[in-house]
Amino acid sequence: MKSGIKIIHWIVFLWLCLVILRFEVVIDYLSLIFSYFGLLNHDASSALAFLNFSFVDASLSVILFLLIIPTLIIFRNKLQFLATRINFSFAFIIVLGFVFLFAPIISNENPDFSKNLSVTKLLSPFSSIKQLELKSERGKKLADEELFRKKSEEIMKPSFNDNIIFADSVRVSEKVTYYQKNEAYEIDGESLINKAGMPVIKEKFFLLGTDEYGRDLFARLIYGTRISLTVGIGAVVLSFIIGIILGFIAGYSGGIIDILLNRFTEIFLAFPVIYLVVLILALFGSSIFSIIFVLGISGWMSLFKLVKSEVISIKQKDFFSTAELVGLNKSQLLFREILPVIIAPVLVNLVFLFSNVVLAEAALSYLGLGTGNTYPSWGSMISSGQEYITKAWWLIAFPGLGLILTLFAFNSSGRMLGLVLNPRLKK
Amino acid sequence: MKSDIVKTLLTRLLSSILTLLLLVSFLFIIIRLSPGDPTDKYISAKLGSELSERIAEKFSLNQPVTDQYLSFVANVFRGDMGVSYNYRLPVFEVVWEYFSFTLVFASISFIFQMSLSIWLALWVIKKRNKWLDNIVTNTSLFVYSIPAFVLGVTLIYIFSVHLDLFPISGLKSLDHDGLSFFSQILDQLYHLILPLITLSAGGVALFYKYIKESMDEIENQTFILNLRASGLDEDIILRKHILPNAIRPLISVAGVELGIILGGTLITEVIFSLPGMGRLAIDSILSRDYPLVIGCVFTAGAVMILASFLADLVKLKIDKRMIKGILN
Repeated sequence: MKSGIKIIHWIVFLWLCLVILRFEVVIDYLSLIFSYFGLLNHDASSALAFLNFSFVDASLSVILFLLIIPTLIIFRNKLQFLATRINFSFAFIIVLGFVFLFAPIISNENPDFSKNLSVTKLLSPFSSIKQLELKSERGKKLADEELFRKKSEEIMKPSFNDNIIFADSVRVSEKVTYYQKNEAYEIDGESLINKAGMPVIKEKFFLLGTDEYGRDLFARLIYGTRISLTVGIGAVVLSFIIGIILGFIAGYSGGIIDILLNRFTEIFLAFPVIYLVVLILALFGSSIFSIIFVLGISGWMSLFKLVKSEVISIKQKDFFSTAELVGLNKSQLLFREILPVIIAPVLVNLVFLFSNVVLAEAALSYLGLGTGNTYPSWGSMISSGQEYITKAWWLIAFPGLGLILTLFAFNSSGRMLGLVLNPRLKK
Repeated sequence: MKSDIVKTLLTRLLSSILTLLLLVSFLFIIIRLSPGDPTDKYISAKLGSELSERIAEKFSLNQPVTDQYLSFVANVFRGDMGVSYNYRLPVFEVVWEYFSFTLVFASISFIFQMSLSIWLALWVIKKRNKWLDNIVTNTSLFVYSIPAFVLGVTLIYIFSVHLDLFPISGLKSLDHDGLSFFSQILDQLYHLILPLITLSAGGVALFYKYIKESMDEIENQTFILNLRASGLDEDIILRKHILPNAIRPLISVAGVELGIILGGTLITEVIFSLPGMGRLAIDSILSRDYPLVIGCVFTAGAVMILASFLADLVKLKIDKRMIKGILN
């Protein structure tokens, strides 16, 4: 275990990649944060009005991004898993973690941005188009607040921007002519942003192509990862809480409560879960919270059984009776005496549960009962891509691949953890 | 012993019926709790309040909730689940028509999964090749990680759109009615190949994992060593001694797996637009056809409960000692 690439090396490598590729973005965000504090000092009430989700999200990402490496270096002796050797599953899970935490840095496009459909619709991966930008009317003197708003719009990329024009090709003579699917448009060169008298023509590059509304697939994939993982984590935490508490109650008290809870669990296991989940979501409406709730309450049964049987065996051990006699209350017994002992099998269970939940969420989104179009999760991307299967394979391939690799990474690392914990299976 | 078994089975049956009853109650509760009620379809703002009251009366909505509940449960168990809004037929008839397809489809897939995974495990064990073992194990883990809908869509893309080998969707060709009986069956099977692969891939991988693990575990036990030492043929050891012992945990999973297949058919039927109960359920849920929804969910639940009961019976048949495990 001494040699080879370790997890910490991989994390540092990814971090350096991001720093090199997205240096400008990080600097932009930092300057935005600084000017926000300037505004806060100056005019607190209008500063608070700017405090929306995407701004907070981006700022937290950047701050975390800068802090993560020093933190890891300081605590590298405490966190032993950092010295584990890397393999494909761990590497991919760490990539997912990066995407989850640093989405605004990795993709500084708005996942909902769509403009000039005739040009941007269903572009294949690695394609690029021309981008012109109109000058925005510059007022004489802007207030601080206005300046900040402008700056934040420049950096944060709103979901709609009137000043951007996408074109297939551009010709510059006295006037600027740009072409959008055989239609020519003329525009005065003066009204475009220009440098030394020549209008600036940028290349707009789509790494993974665009979808049917001309939205950048890469950005949608990155933000979709976040949605899928958020649902997964939320539902797993809910299942964990329900499973641990019910399992502890059943195992610790025994008797009639045990029997009742057991029956209850059996009933839950006997239900056709997917039918019920679909039914509940269809009746009560599906939002990201209702999905987390429904998937959370439909996944705790295996955890309950595990915790219950472990608690029953721990109950007879000496250390536990001592703890009881010392007078610890029930939550102390659970969190201090039982949880540390059973954390390993519980962890394995949670890893498998997580991959199940991610799969279920994707399946629900595919059926049209997911988080919907406002939040692009992998499942809904695949489901909307299916209509364009003959024209645009990339709409399905990339979210599908992301989903498969995620499930594979979690399944195989769960299996590895299980192998370490179950010596009977070792050869 | 015999009376013990009968007693256990009766208790088991009773608990199955209780579970079914709870399923029905749960259905009643969530449908009553959900926003809106069935009269919404017939009442508009233009109707007078008197007329809407009469409609509510027709739906027995003015009776106390307990009465509604009791008659609901009684009707469901009598098989009378009302009339579907969309099909204008008794729910039972509609569900039965679609359920028969799902039943056949799921059974074919189940047999396919079982036989393929057992064959694969036997083959890998017989080869005794560490590399092959690793490759198959990792491949099966990978296949298990492919969601049914991703696999289905990919298969459609490769085999239907590009190679044009298999039909994209549906169960029958256009000229289906003009064919002879055997060509009709062949035609339907031909349409079922891609859906079958989609539905079965994950299950094959899962079963393979279970059976391979338990085979490995049993192979290391002393009685196998004893058999080997006494010079028994490897093939006979594998077939007669390892396999029957290894198949036991598979049966306990099989009951749960049937539920997974039922869920899987739901997705597969939607992808390939097959006329099964899963798609019926989704369609009825999305179009708020409440009686049909209740019918579908109740049928699915009943099938699952029946399947786990049957799995317990098979377990008992194989090994009488497992009677304790049935009522844990």
